[in-house]
Amino acid sequence: MPPVIDPDKCNLCGVCDEHCPLDVIYMENEGVDVRYPLECWHCGACRQDCPTGAVDIEFPLIMLGV
Amino acid sequence: MGEDHQIETDVAIIGGGTAGLNSAMAAAEKGLKVLVAEKANIERSGAIAGGIDHFHAYLETGEDWDTREAYLGWVSKISKGASSLKVQEAVYCDEYKAAIERVERIGIALRNPKTGDFYRTLALGMPGPYAINFNGKKLKPKMAEEVRRLGCKVLGRLQVTRLLLHDGEIAGFTGFDMRTGDFYQVRAKAVVIATGNTNRMFKPQTGNPFNLWYCPADTGDLHRAAYEAGVELANMEYIRMTIVPKGFSAPGFNAFLGMGSHLINSLEERYLEHHHPMGEAAPRNFVVWATYNELKEGRGPIYMDCRHLSQKDREHLFETLGYDKDTLPDFFVKKGYNLEGTMIEMTVSEPMQARPSEVCGSGIKIDEKCASNVPGLYAAGDSSDQMGCLHMCVAGGYAAGKQAAEFALKTKNFRPVDSAETATEKDRIFRPLGKKTGISSWEFEDIVRIITTDHFGPVKTEISLKSALDKLNKLDDAHGDLKADNLHELMRVHEAMNIQQVAKITATAAMARKETRFPPYHYRADFPETDDDQYCGLIVIKKGPEGDITTRFEPLTYEI
Ligand SMILES: Cc1cc2nc3c(=O)[nH]c(=O)nc-3n(C[C@H](O)[C@H](O)[C@H](O)COP(=O)(O)OP(=O)(O)OC[C@H]3O[C@@H](n4cnc5c(N)ncnc54)[C@H](O)[C@@H]3O)c2cc1C
Ligand code: SF4
Ligand code: SF4
Repeated sequence: MPPVIDPDKCNLCGVCDEHCPLDVIYMENEGVDVRYPLECWHCGACRQDCPTGAVDIEFPLIMLGV
Repeated sequence: MGEDHQIETDVAIIGGGTAGLNSAMAAAEKGLKVLVAEKANIERSGAIAGGIDHFHAYLETGEDWDTREAYLGWVSKISKGASSLKVQEAVYCDEYKAAIERVERIGIALRNPKTGDFYRTLALGMPGPYAINFNGKKLKPKMAEEVRRLGCKVLGRLQVTRLLLHDGEIAGFTGFDMRTGDFYQVRAKAVVIATGNTNRMFKPQTGNPFNLWYCPADTGDLHRAAYEAGVELANMEYIRMTIVPKGFSAPGFNAFLGMGSHLINSLEERYLEHHHPMGEAAPRNFVVWATYNELKEGRGPIYMDCRHLSQKDREHLFETLGYDKDTLPDFFVKKGYNLEGTMIEMTVSEPMQARPSEVCGSGIKIDEKCASNVPGLYAAGDSSDQMGCLHMCVAGGYAAGKQAAEFALKTKNFRPVDSAETATEKDRIFRPLGKKTGISSWEFEDIVRIITTDHFGPVKTEISLKSALDKLNKLDDAHGDLKADNLHELMRVHEAMNIQQVAKITATAAMARKETRFPPYHYRADFPETDDDQYCGLIVIKKGPEGDITTRFEPLTYEI
């Protein structure tokens, strides 16, 4: 499910949460919570703005499979 | 629920997308106190959150197609009956040079830094290559930086819910913070609405209403609020669609065509040639209409044929597609398409409620000053009836900000707001949070989408529209059952109700236009011909004295 965060690379800066236009990502103390993956628009803002390259975008099977 | 806030500002902008940020810049440059109220965060929100790749402009280079007159001729051709040339001249032609300069000044290169030339391409019925291609992946954050540099106050994650009027003039608005639950009452001398078009209104291709061409956060919230406040709307009958990759509703088909790819059906025919004299260079609605019919008549799947493109062109294409939709190249790779000769399966996108052409909007009816019929209330961008696309949102957004600032400068006092009205609205906003059982926003929205798609997505008749309105009206009874388990869901509940209300407005406007225009954006199976004698102009919508949706017709003329 989009986006997927690599906890080893993430520095907990919170930019992906702040910049998501769809309110999908929530920054918690212990890490990034991609709370509403079904509401992702795949705009790529989180990935573009992540300072550490911790965000990968994955597409659900329905998008790739049809 | 959180705290209450009361804010006063000279100019308030609702929606910090492309147009709203340009409005904010204009008002702030006049030295006024400016507030941007934005549902997300201004750095990345709205249509161009992830990037954008072309800006339409005539540049007066001496070519006969590169003039103001030729551009207005294009507008007249692709937007006849929807664009007012007077408004077009004021919000775009008089502003576009400054708009290009502004985009470049804030740090986005529109031209090749080595040669100083613009890279221009032709599409969508243009008489010459009006589309300046550029890498706009950082355009939104750069505009946000400029708005912050100018000292505007920004409130993010604030969903605006209602306009407040006093004696028929704008007084302010209400909203809530979807992260804290705080309630806001904002008073402003002038307000600009710039909240984009209405999405999530029709069934999407993969079933997920967030897999859309346009931004799923734009849900007609202020179309509904403006309508409730007695603001006139226009161009609301139109349903916009495009051609997208199968599986992913992302833009880019004109980039493919611009690069020399062809749309083919499963008989390997370039079918556009059978449907329109301009073939693949036809205005967008005809490309969609042809494809819609190809699929319906059983000649699908359809493909973007890239087999003949050179390696260099394919590489260029894969890179530039990512300017417009950052993740589209990844999608193609994951789907197994590669740079070797390939045929990419395409389809017709979900319909959305939006403008019927590249050069107009759909929503709050504006005049040459970007003003609505309510004094002090202005509109810009896709949420106005006259602006659309990047070029108009940047140029016209700024024009709206200037006009709102002038109005605010002439206004001595803040208009009072009615505290009882604000309290009622606060109660309405938070009510779904208190419910333990009930209907989810997702279920409610799904019902709306089934009704709209069955009855007017996109083909419609008098009977289908009446039946849609019956069902949509009955759904009002379910509002009291809508529940939200948290603030995020609360936002979605309000969006769902707004989409439903805009759907009613759209169906009503479509009933009033008893002809076909820009098929399939307004295709009436019972009136399949375009009737310029009676319908070359706007269907104007306004809330009637009984709470009913009223329509009137306003003609538009085209000398060019
Ligand atoms: C992916 C994509 C690519 C495109 N590419 C091109 C292109 O290359 N060239 C071109 O000319 N056009 C292009 N377009 C069209 C163009 O981007 C839009 O017409 C334009 O950006 C719209 O600007 P806007 O300000 O009207 O709306 P938006 O930029 O969508 O802004 C609306 C803002 O309002 C906010 N909002 C919504 N509701 C509320 C509320 N209730 N309270 C507070 N805030 C709210 C939203 O969060 C959003 O930030 C593209 C569109 C998309 C979606
Ligand atoms: S932007 Fe990147 S580094 Fe920052 S919190 Fe998100 S994933 Fe972590
Ligand atoms: S891709 Fe866009 S919508 Fe999806 S989580 Fe990232 S920022 Fe949000």
